[in-house]
Amino acid sequence: MLRRRFRPAPGGGCEVRLPKQERELLKSLPRELHSAIVAIGEASGDELVEIPQSLRRLFPPAYSTDDEAERRYTDLTRNDLLLHHSEALSVLSSSAGTTYLSEEEVGRWMTALNDLRLVLGTVLDVTDVEDDLDVTSSQHLLYYYLGGLEEELVGVLSGFLPEPVAGADDLIPEDPWGEPLGGLRWDGTPLPRQPPPGEHAPDDRRE
Amino acid sequence: MTPVSAPDEVLEPTTTEDVRPDLPWLVVVWNDPINLMSYVTYVFQKLFGFSKEKAHKLMLDVHLKGRAVVSSGPRERAEADVTRLHEHGLWATMERRLR
Repeated sequence: MLRRRFRPAPGGGCEVRLPKQERELLKSLPRELHSAIVAIGEASGDELVEIPQSLRRLFPPAYSTDDEAERRYTDLTRNDLLLHHSEALSVLSSSAGTTYLSEEEVGRWMTALNDLRLVLGTVLDVTDVEDDLDVTSSQHLLYYYLGGLEEELVGVLSGFLPEPVAGADDLIPEDPWGEPLGGLRWDGTPLPRQPPPGEHAPDDRRE
Repeated sequence: MTPVSAPDEVLEPTTTEDVRPDLPWLVVVWNDPINLMSYVTYVFQKLFGFSKEKAHKLMLDVHLKGRAVVSSGPRERAEADVTRLHEHGLWATMERRLR
């Protein structure tokens, strides 16, 4: 089993035990994405800038079917979201050499690692299929390495969560749209119906 | 008393926005292949104060059924929840309750 990189510290925050090469990677890796996000902010005037395809996952739509409401929402929230992402990446890069992170910094690292994975996963066109790890691809290995670090930080931060809010579990309304066969994709379009185990897929096989 | 001049033109309301009463909106998180399952569970616990079991069940709904409703309320409240989910990199939208 791999040696753990993060360990909750007595009194809060966490200790960081990363090898030197990994620290160098975490220092340099966020810079390109940070620059791309800052550039979007700088280019944004009265008109919203089109988000590049690879960064789409960092700026999802709130309204999937109402363009006007979506424009208003994006106008209101875009700058804060840009700042949120760029600050997290900046904190990761500047504190990659540290041996201790405060609880707030752990949160920033987790956000930054997740942002990097969202972009890398989009570029690599990652799917839900678990066995698509290509061990000959350095980008695939990087994607899974970042996931391992993030998983550890989630574990650390879960230990800092306050008690659940009384009654919160009961506030969630029923899903009123029923259950389409095969569920939906992330963008709300239906997934093709999955054949039962042992049966071949219908005639939608691609050559 | 200063005389007030009449405005030269009258602004007619031009909005085409939906002005029906503000029925509760539902905040929906959609499945995606990138976010870690443990991360999605953690975000649900952190943002909404769910128990670990509830957050885990909602995460499984997202993963297996493709989506889960995680909160509801008037438009402003739903937008605020969507924003917090977007800050965490989750694919969240807000949908109108139909009935």
